[in-house]
Amino acid sequence: MRNASRLIEILDRMENGPGIIEKDFDSLIMKRIPELVNEFEIKFYGENFVNTDDAMADRCYEAGLKLAEEAGVYCVSNNRRMIWSRREILDTIKWAPTSIVIGAGRDAHNEYRRDPEDPRRPTIICGPIGQTIPEDLFLPIMQSYFQEQIADTVITGTIETVYGRECRTKSPWEILSGWHEAELALTAAKRAGREGIAIGCVENANSDITELSATSYGAFRQTDWHHIAMISELKTDYMLLNKLTHLTKTDCILHSFYNPIYGGLAGGAEGLAVVTVAGLIMLQMIYMTTTHSQCPTHPFFLSNTAPPIIWSIGLSVQALSRNTPFMLDVLTSPVGGPCTKTVLYESAAIATTATVSGAARLMGVRSTVGKFRGHASGLEARFNGEVGYAAAGMKREKANEIVKQIVPKYLNQLDKEPKGKIFPEAYDMHTLRPRPEWLKMYDEAKEELSKIGLALK
Amino acid sequence: MSAFKQIQDQLRVAIREGNEEQATILAQRAVEMGIDPSLIFDECITPVLAQAGDQFARLEIFLPEVLLAADAAKAIFKVLEPVIQADEAVSVSLGKVIIGTVSGDVHEIGKNIVGIMLEVNGFSVKDLGRDVPVSAFLDTARDYQADIIAMSSLLTTSMPYIRDLVNLIKDTGENKRFKTLIGGGPVTSEWAAAIGADGYGKDATEAVKVAKQMVGA
Repeated sequence: MRNASRLIEILDRMENGPGIIEKDFDSLIMKRIPELVNEFEIKFYGENFVNTDDAMADRCYEAGLKLAEEAGVYCVSNNRRMIWSRREILDTIKWAPTSIVIGAGRDAHNEYRRDPEDPRRPTIICGPIGQTIPEDLFLPIMQSYFQEQIADTVITGTIETVYGRECRTKSPWEILSGWHEAELALTAAKRAGREGIAIGCVENANSDITELSATSYGAFRQTDWHHIAMISELKTDYMLLNKLTHLTKTDCILHSFYNPIYGGLAGGAEGLAVVTVAGLIMLQMIYMTTTHSQCPTHPFFLSNTAPPIIWSIGLSVQALSRNTPFMLDVLTSPVGGPCTKTVLYESAAIATTATVSGAARLMGVRSTVGKFRGHASGLEARFNGEVGYAAAGMKREKANEIVKQIVPKYLNQLDKEPKGKIFPEAYDMHTLRPRPEWLKMYDEAKEELSKIGLALK
Repeated sequence: MSAFKQIQDQLRVAIREGNEEQATILAQRAVEMGIDPSLIFDECITPVLAQAGDQFARLEIFLPEVLLAADAAKAIFKVLEPVIQADEAVSVSLGKVIIGTVSGDVHEIGKNIVGIMLEVNGFSVKDLGRDVPVSAFLDTARDYQADIIAMSSLLTTSMPYIRDLVNLIKDTGENKRFKTLIGGGPVTSEWAAAIGADGYGKDATEAVKVAKQMVGA
């Protein structure tokens, strides 16, 4: 892709940027963000969850751009800042991809960027990203996502063991788990009749060597897409840049991921939105990614469904979708698990906000914030996608009123870890269909949300 | 009004507002006035930092405010340190903690929050950072004469390194000397009990509570 021609430039910035110790970089971020929040008059008042103010979205973009320009990205491996001028950033942003075909054959999917209130449907990514899946359940659980007809693409979970052995990072077992992930995911896709569907991978690759290995011939394919994360806040390292280098040279589709922390160095909801904008801009600068994902995280619940975070997601997506060509992605990361209505309500709040704000793709659901092994199923991902379809084209004012009615349905559950049930208790293991109890909750939630304005079909 | 009372409120405000410069000036003035350092710790630093920690736990304030308050408190400590060294009776720390994210894991904001919360609640904390090898935890714990080794992992595949350290401490016979406190996204209390860790913190608030129990505070 034309935006992927900058590898040497990126590595040069990594090697030759100004040196700084990490604590000083953190202080720079911590000090500058509240100043930018004040300067650009970004304010979360608490009563509205979906931003409807275009001017504030544009100011948030300007604040984020300024932070990106001033801070750059910190490379923790060599204690240098990777920096670009404003002009260089803007010149790079304008060449970011606005559409791409992922997957192959009958399962090829054309995804595209979206604007706020865009009537077109977002791309739906189903999968338990970041969630530990017991090895013996990996195939059925993943099949439960691949078989969802709403899935345009699927992202895998993390296999707990490999051939019954404990898996640990930076070891041969981790490399083997990357291959095992590919074998099982491709099998699950085939079993579901979706052989060509694009897969988000390599989710067992915490280290670079596993990413490289499982992106070799015979494992994941060039029609799949690959995750590279940013370290919070605004940091990277050699290991992540090793992934970038390999994936660029092997012509893979790159997907970036950033999870800034609410209440952390960026402060509250306003600072969170600014650092998210800066982070996603810088992910284009350092990784040349095709799609840009975010999942701001609560410091105690680890979810992204608390009201200030929902607001921040909406504002930052609007800021970027109004001012850049980026294809933006939002991960739904709820506290609830399968067989709880909580997970459905939380998914509805995030999917509605993201869709009307201009997200190009909805990803998830990372049920129980990924904490409880095997507490994941395709049904909550279907629901997440269906809400996205229902919210496409909706005015943000209406979405705000809907989200305001959804949030009280789960707010008191956020600190309760409502993990619900493990997959075999939520799905029939022979038919791989949701058990009646789980399906009933899903039907009831759809009916409830339809009554408040989400036209769930 | 006693000499201490005159300066107490100003010191509290300086800490709360994270005003390092003002905190230093006031601490110097306190030393010149001959104020007992333990009074400054007990009546100013400890309660204000504990309050900041409580407010952060409720997200009424955010990490930057807590960090600034902690930095102001450190500035006061720097001024008082020579006086304290001369008076061994003054106890300024609940205990020493080393903390880090275990090998193979670069996620550290959660760990940083725990470290800061321990610090503002009266512990001396040495942060080893991210991707810390098992042996580095033990080496540093010995050098630092730590009471608690706190480990975090956000990855299932890094959790085995937590167990390695718990086992290593048992193997070297130092499990009475160092308490192990663990946490992180996929870590549960059940797993902590299964591997023989001394304590588990679901979040920063719980980690502080458990750490206090460990040192009998």
